[in-house]
Amino acid sequence: MVFNTPIFLLFFVFFLLIYGVILGEKKPKLYFILVASLVFYGAWNYRFIPLLVGSAVIDYYLALAIAAAPAHRKRLFLTLSVVMNLGILALFKYADFAIESAGEFLLLFGVEASLPTLSWILPVGISFYTFQSLSYTIDVYRGDMEPRRGLAHFTTALAFFPQLVAGPILRARQILPQFHSLPVPTWENARHGFLLITSGLFKKTIADLLAIPVAHAFDGDGPVSLLEAWTGALAFAGQIYGDFAGYTDMAIGIALVIGFKIPPNFRLPYFAVSPVDFWRRWHISLSSWLRDYLYIPLGGRNNRYRNVMITMLLGGLWHGAAWNFVAWGAFHGVIIMATHYLSGLGIFAAFSSRSSRMMTVLKWAITFYLVLLGWVLFRATSLDDALQLMINMHTISGLPGSAPTALVVFVLTIVALIGMHVWDWFVIAKGDAFETKRWLFWPVLILIQAICLMTGEPSNEFIYFQF
Amino acid sequence: MSSSTSSSDQAPGTRKIYLRILLAIVLGMATALASVQAFVAANGAGSRSILGRVIEAQEAIPSIAGEKEDLVLVFGSSMVEAGFSPREFDRDLAEQGIDIKSFNFGFGGLNPLFQDYLSRRMVEQFQAQDRRIKLLLIEFNPFQTTVTRREGARALEESYIALLASPKELFDVFMKDPERGLRMLQIRYLRDGISAEMITTFFWGEPFEQQAPRTQLVQEEGIAEALDELQAELGKRFSDEYPDYDGSDWYYPWQGGGTIQSERPAETVALFNDYYRLTQTDFRKDNARLRRIATSDIVDLNFDPELVDAFIRIVNNFKVIADDIEIVLLPKNHRWIDNPPEALARQADVVEQIKKATGVPVRDFQKVESLGDEMFSDTTHLNRYRGAVIFTRLLAEQYQRTLRP
Repeated sequence: MVFNTPIFLLFFVFFLLIYGVILGEKKPKLYFILVASLVFYGAWNYRFIPLLVGSAVIDYYLALAIAAAPAHRKRLFLTLSVVMNLGILALFKYADFAIESAGEFLLLFGVEASLPTLSWILPVGISFYTFQSLSYTIDVYRGDMEPRRGLAHFTTALAFFPQLVAGPILRARQILPQFHSLPVPTWENARHGFLLITSGLFKKTIADLLAIPVAHAFDGDGPVSLLEAWTGALAFAGQIYGDFAGYTDMAIGIALVIGFKIPPNFRLPYFAVSPVDFWRRWHISLSSWLRDYLYIPLGGRNNRYRNVMITMLLGGLWHGAAWNFVAWGAFHGVIIMATHYLSGLGIFAAFSSRSSRMMTVLKWAITFYLVLLGWVLFRATSLDDALQLMINMHTISGLPGSAPTALVVFVLTIVALIGMHVWDWFVIAKGDAFETKRWLFWPVLILIQAICLMTGEPSNEFIYFQF
Repeated sequence: MSSSTSSSDQAPGTRKIYLRILLAIVLGMATALASVQAFVAANGAGSRSILGRVIEAQEAIPSIAGEKEDLVLVFGSSMVEAGFSPREFDRDLAEQGIDIKSFNFGFGGLNPLFQDYLSRRMVEQFQAQDRRIKLLLIEFNPFQTTVTRREGARALEESYIALLASPKELFDVFMKDPERGLRMLQIRYLRDGISAEMITTFFWGEPFEQQAPRTQLVQEEGIAEALDELQAELGKRFSDEYPDYDGSDWYYPWQGGGTIQSERPAETVALFNDYYRLTQTDFRKDNARLRRIATSDIVDLNFDPELVDAFIRIVNNFKVIADDIEIVLLPKNHRWIDNPPEALARQADVVEQIKKATGVPVRDFQKVESLGDEMFSDTTHLNRYRGAVIFTRLLAEQYQRTLRP
């Protein structure tokens, strides 16, 4: 059940009707959210509901056990939680990749082994909810939060349908208290929720349109010209941002309309002026999770380069079981390390600390260019294809056969990219004031909704559902 | 945004806020949808603009069923639409003492997946009128049954099926796949057949579409201008000669076919001859060929198994209402469409599969000697006053034995 479909609209209207209007007491409301969330999840594949509920139940009791155990036993329960969560992830997401990679490795030595693969379906949202569940037991172990009593509350928080399948990855301390209080939205919150839902829908619609030039550059049979290669790379930058940030906006907006607050997951990432800055703005809930539960425990700035590299490699691998994601993570690791290294050198230190407009533009341009190269690695179907597209991006070639058309698509792609970011900036900077102008706010929202209703592409799955 | 939240548990006003939110959602969506409909209507779009000929043909069925003569239907693609002239057919057979009434059920832009639904509706209508068809010819169009052709129609698929399916069939889709079913119900009942994909394709499709390669041949000077002039003149003459024509795509007095040469003045026919001469250029034909390769895989013919299955269903659907039924392959423009042996082998396999699955004979008119390149308006369609006439006569000759009382 995808947010931008009629079936979800129907589901959501019924949900609000029962949750907000018919049910009065807290307990039935809580159970209703849980049931609705499981129905929402089951619409993809009901067979994986026990996996989701099982993870929640086990982590809930392990958190209680960690809190109650003497110091020397706490670690055992935490280890159980880590092994269970990462084990589930490894089994469903990485087992086949590991087996196939082992086979390829053996081939290098001339050993041809036909290793059996599992070929299991990847449960949707597994990367998100396992990390979310794991953060709870780690926080309890560290003493950052007390375990909260109420299995239903914890399970509902983990299964909460707006953020279940593609995040943001919430921390228990952010979301769990809300399931104990079941907040009621104020009209201002609901209105902001509508703005975010519409904003997300707008971005998702643009992302779907950008999928066409992306497919042409990355999946086409024929050679790709310089112009088409750049169009493809830029279009994918727009597509993945519009798709993922659009989904997140809708998730946050839907939660707000119900009464729950979810922190933002994106903050104008393509305005970043360094790779480090990019990761402070892109998929914030994942980058902060990796920082708090991986980078810092590894030692953080002590042996920074190693820790950055490990974190980014695993961050890449989190996105999918394929070498291009690993390469993408490694690439970001390298450019972050380079940023740290160069900012320590005299001449570059001056460059990185200067904040004149010209310098800012230059830093932005370099960062965006690097991020774009990263997206090529991310999207390409193989490392060879990624390399070929990068070569095409930097090789002066003849214009494509349909030069005027290609130029139109290139311009539209740039307009779409800029349009999405300008709109996001507007929502962040002027959203509050805009929401109070009722005569403008509602017509604009309806106009955007109408445009989104009029625009569509046959395949509109969210990209991040596969991670 | 305000950061305050009120506490829960049925505080006064809780229901009120949720009711207000629900009202905002319902009113907002209704207004947005109404805006879409207004926009679509302002652009003259709607179910009739996309399936006008199909809808008009369906609306004609009660009248067709009421005809006193035996009925002949030729069902198929735009190749049937262009290549079969019912009135020529009836007249030829009348000369042989055979009194029948034939109708052209050829529709452009459909593939077997859509035709399957259309055939079911037609069968229901004929059964409701308790009327049988004496002879039903169903065209098997190879290039309309390819993977490429299907992919090209993806954006239209849900709209077409939503419009052609019965309420029960839509409900079945909903039960099997609620997401898709609801989308299709919405397309049918709230959007008059116009899906978001259609609008996108219409407004944005061209720049984003893969461009078909263009011919390397050069167009002769002045051809385009001369054609424009002739088309304008022929248009004017048409208006003068057919004042009663109501603009229908499927016009009952012509039995779903087109005009016939015998009813046009000699000067108009002469103009048509000039027109045909100008259209017979290698530049135009080669461009048409390349476009067909890009959109329909017309040369290599990589068939889509689902479309082949859909075609088999069409034939089996029609068996219920037809006394005699045959599958026909329409003439091919061999000068421009030269299928390699592998493609012909694939076609032969598919035809064999259809024969086995339906038990219906297949008659292949692809290699009619008298239908050379000059009989075609492009690489696929017969032209009305030449190719269509010859092919229609050929059909009359072939089937007179079947149709003789």
